[in-house]
Amino acid sequence: MKKLAEVLKDWEAVIGLEVHTELTTLETKMFCNCRLSHDDEPNTNVCPVCLGMPGALPVPNEKAIESIVMAGLATNCQIMRHSMFYRKHYFYPDMAKNFQTTQGPVAFCMHGQLDLEVSGAGAKERPDSTVEKDADGGYVAPIRILRIHMEEDAAKMVHVGGEEGRIGGAAESLIDYNRCGTPLIELVTEPDLRTPEEARLFMEKLRQTFLTLGISDCSLESGSMRCDGNISLRRRGETKFGTKTEMKNINSFKSLHDALEYEICRQAEVLEEGGIVYQETRHWEPSRRRTVVMRVKETADDYRLFPDPDLAPFDLTDEFIDRCRSRIPELPDAKRDRYMADFGLKRADAAQLAGDPTVAAFFEETLAAAGEKNVETVAKVMVNLVPSYDALTPAQVASLSGLLAEDAITFAQAREVLDAVNGTSEDPAAYVDAHGMRQSTDEGALGAIVDEVLARCTDQVQQYRDGNKKVLGFLVGQCMKAAKGSGNPKAFNKMLAEKLEG
Amino acid sequence: MANFDQLSAREIAAGVANGDFTATEVARAALDAVEARDGEVKAFLQVSADLALAAAEATDKARAAGEKLGPLAGVPVAFKDNMHLVGTRTTCASKMLANYESTFTATCVQRMLGAGATPVGKTNMDEFAFGSSTESSAFHPTANPWDTERVPGGSSGGSAAAVAAGEVTVSLGSDTGGSIRQPASLCGVVGLKPTYGAVSRYGVVAFGSSLDQVGPFGRSVEDVALAMNALTAGGRDPWDSTSQPVATDFLAHLNDGVEGRRVGIVPALMEAAGLTDEVRDAVTAAGRALQDQGAELVEVELPNIASAIAAYYVIAPCEAFSNLARFDGVRYGYQEPGQATLAEQTSLSRAHGFGEEAKRRQMLGAYLLSSGTYDKYYYPAQQVRTLITADYARAYEKCDVILMPAAPRTAFKFGEMSDPTQMYASDMFTISNNIVGNGGVSVPLGLGATSGLPVSAQLQGPAFADATLLTFARAIERSNSASDGSGAPVAPAFAGKGGELA
Amino acid sequence: MPLTREDVAGIADYARIALTPEELDEMTAYMNDAVDLLEPIRAYDLEGVEPTFHPIGDLSNVMGEDVPDDAVRHLPVDVALKNAGASRDRSFRVPSILGDQGGDR
Repeated sequence: MKKLAEVLKDWEAVIGLEVHTELTTLETKMFCNCRLSHDDEPNTNVCPVCLGMPGALPVPNEKAIESIVMAGLATNCQIMRHSMFYRKHYFYPDMAKNFQTTQGPVAFCMHGQLDLEVSGAGAKERPDSTVEKDADGGYVAPIRILRIHMEEDAAKMVHVGGEEGRIGGAAESLIDYNRCGTPLIELVTEPDLRTPEEARLFMEKLRQTFLTLGISDCSLESGSMRCDGNISLRRRGETKFGTKTEMKNINSFKSLHDALEYEICRQAEVLEEGGIVYQETRHWEPSRRRTVVMRVKETADDYRLFPDPDLAPFDLTDEFIDRCRSRIPELPDAKRDRYMADFGLKRADAAQLAGDPTVAAFFEETLAAAGEKNVETVAKVMVNLVPSYDALTPAQVASLSGLLAEDAITFAQAREVLDAVNGTSEDPAAYVDAHGMRQSTDEGALGAIVDEVLARCTDQVQQYRDGNKKVLGFLVGQCMKAAKGSGNPKAFNKMLAEKLEG
Repeated sequence: MANFDQLSAREIAAGVANGDFTATEVARAALDAVEARDGEVKAFLQVSADLALAAAEATDKARAAGEKLGPLAGVPVAFKDNMHLVGTRTTCASKMLANYESTFTATCVQRMLGAGATPVGKTNMDEFAFGSSTESSAFHPTANPWDTERVPGGSSGGSAAAVAAGEVTVSLGSDTGGSIRQPASLCGVVGLKPTYGAVSRYGVVAFGSSLDQVGPFGRSVEDVALAMNALTAGGRDPWDSTSQPVATDFLAHLNDGVEGRRVGIVPALMEAAGLTDEVRDAVTAAGRALQDQGAELVEVELPNIASAIAAYYVIAPCEAFSNLARFDGVRYGYQEPGQATLAEQTSLSRAHGFGEEAKRRQMLGAYLLSSGTYDKYYYPAQQVRTLITADYARAYEKCDVILMPAAPRTAFKFGEMSDPTQMYASDMFTISNNIVGNGGVSVPLGLGATSGLPVSAQLQGPAFADATLLTFARAIERSNSASDGSGAPVAPAFAGKGGELA
Repeated sequence: MPLTREDVAGIADYARIALTPEELDEMTAYMNDAVDLLEPIRAYDLEGVEPTFHPIGDLSNVMGEDVPDDAVRHLPVDVALKNAGASRDRSFRVPSILGDQGGDR
């Protein structure tokens, strides 16, 4: 198969995503008061409603409706005042009633948009000139959201007796209804994505947004956030869509990128050989790095949708929507802009700190402890050092940043300090002192060393004066050696330069 | 001492409260009457003697402890077998649920028990409430106590027959297209279908979710009013989204006069094809009786009511298909043994668990909801529903209640109506009220001049005017010289058989 | 256009109701009779008429609180499973799904 970059020169990939997110931070299920399950024994959290017992009736969880309205507002959707729940029928025992309660043509949230900033290597995936690129090749891709609707999750089935728990060849299947009825929101994008990188970024941005809203733990690994991709190819310049395939089993950001990359290349090969892309559902196999056919869709499924008579319609009031709006915290884009404006951070650093709400909160707490005058150092530490550690406190990072800011330690020493204090309550400043790592910047004490080195290394001094400025590094090294590591290299650098130039 | 079948619910509750007799004595009398009478009537699918005696004992203990007793203290009641009661099976008169053990108790049942009622058992019905004769019960037919060669009507035929035969004082039924009012008419008892939402549907196996409503049967209007108080006094049911509060004391205005109030007559309905002369004459006489008490008869039109049956036979099968999809033999219900695959197990369990009419209705619903067909029938049927609702709203600008027949004719013989679509027409006077959701009550008018079988009138009213319906029903009852104005008699063949209060 | 035997067989397949050849004939006759009964619905001009999906029309925004109920409606696993035709340990059991149309969910 050809490489992605080569394929995308001739072909345009048209990608749409369907993203299911469980509202894991709620206490109870969508239509009953059973607890949400995390690692419970099978059929622990069940009641007549979520088991679909005859005679049971649903009552919508108000907090779930608030959550989806918040999700809609945060993704610039129109909040539809009037909408209803519908019944979507299919016979499969993971849905206890053999219908899923979901929404019909009108969802709570319609017609939203998220703007993606694509930069670096990822931006190179898009060779076409339909987007305006900046000097570094980066661009902004506006991705329209068709809708976000509210529904309920299905039960978990375990297939027994087949290969690797797969359905094929299984002798029987066991059903656990703990997950059945978990509040689920489904977001459907317009087919506006053009590269695997854009798809990956969209999912990341969506995840950051939902995490910030606090409506879900958004774990692709555990399946609380799940993504299906629809993909088709068309020749560059063509306006008609090609036949699309649907990709399932995408459980990491890398899988999303790699599965789409594979599928684009596979479809291109089929088309270039004069073959036909069939409308089918394909399964991503991460271990074999390929997609395989799960099911060919000959006709559209007929789900016999109709408005659920057991559930009253919704006519959301301004008051309800305003209440949801007031609960939305500062979103990642706004936070990034604020970090840039208030602290003068670089866009990429600000975006990294603002993206994850726990990182942002850590950063802001650290900054409060370290003082805003050290913001540049704090940001540098947060971006470059902190991600390697799992158990640092904001106070420790603030202290460390202070040491770096006053040149008491080097960046290399900072790692050593963090290695030592990670997971303890020890203050980095105390650690540095206890281990004699604090570097002197006292010009009197350091001046003697500088003079000694200049007197000793006459050759290098001459080379410097002849124009070889690089030799300064050697002289700094000599000073450091003479100071037995306790002198600050920046201070030596400055003093040597002054004396040599003077 | 008296036979319990001669006592009204109020008299029993008062007798128990005063210590004239104990709840246990009444329970034993009722069980004795069932023993003596039900071999012939076959109103019951299950007699819950243990539950009845335990409830009665609890009532007697409460009295001994000086506690205030409920308004239905010691009153023997029966529940249609689509209502869950823990400690009983809930079969819906279907092989599908022949062994289904209730896992929770329906709100309506719980409220009757909470008012002190004694649960005597579960009554026969048309399978899943599909029918108008109780002949489609998978277990056995129920006889009309006035002529045991004839049907009791349906689908709540067992509940109507149990009250008519004096086996219980009050019973509950459900009415989707006339299933309380038509059997009440055929069995000569009072049967009220309250306004949709007045009584909780939680725990009642659904047939048509936008049409179903639970209501009481009694031999007097007062007993029905007492039961309505028990069913609604607890306020709306938070477990039923369509439940609404009813802030009415149904006894308070029971004996109000009707002078100066207006009773609507729909001329077209009084001349409807299929309406027998004896029923027409009896309804006309009931109108005159109201006139004699000072009410004014006014003509009103319901121009779209002729389409109610068609609208109903779109909406009801669609909802039935959806509601019965859950019966797949996995979580509960009949499971075809020895099947190698899920698909075979499901379709054979459904084929063999459901009776003919249940399969017909689901097939019709599955067809009507299919894409393309939905727009031809389902959506327009719901639009016609709007027109019929508007017809009634206009009519109630001119009158307080509408007087019409409940059933076109008296009880027919077993097997007499064999064509399902012919059977559908027997609900011609009741169905429109389910379509719009309003309340309706069937009031006994003694025996028909020709057949010698019970005939009745139906009163329909605007939404949540169910207490007004009972005021008018009481006015008709008061004028009935055959029963000296105190309510309908127990069918003579069964009156006094067993049931003596020891 | 009346429903054919094949149409009705397709619906039965979808609705998971196995029908014998005789039952299929009867069902086809019934379905066509029943659909004839619905014709009045199609005779209307319903332009501009809103549908009534929920009777007693002014009910809306009915919701419940996000508060767990561990006692009242919660079912212990033995009660949850007691009406099941087949179960294993704490789970409901179904036979092989192979060949079932819904197999990709």
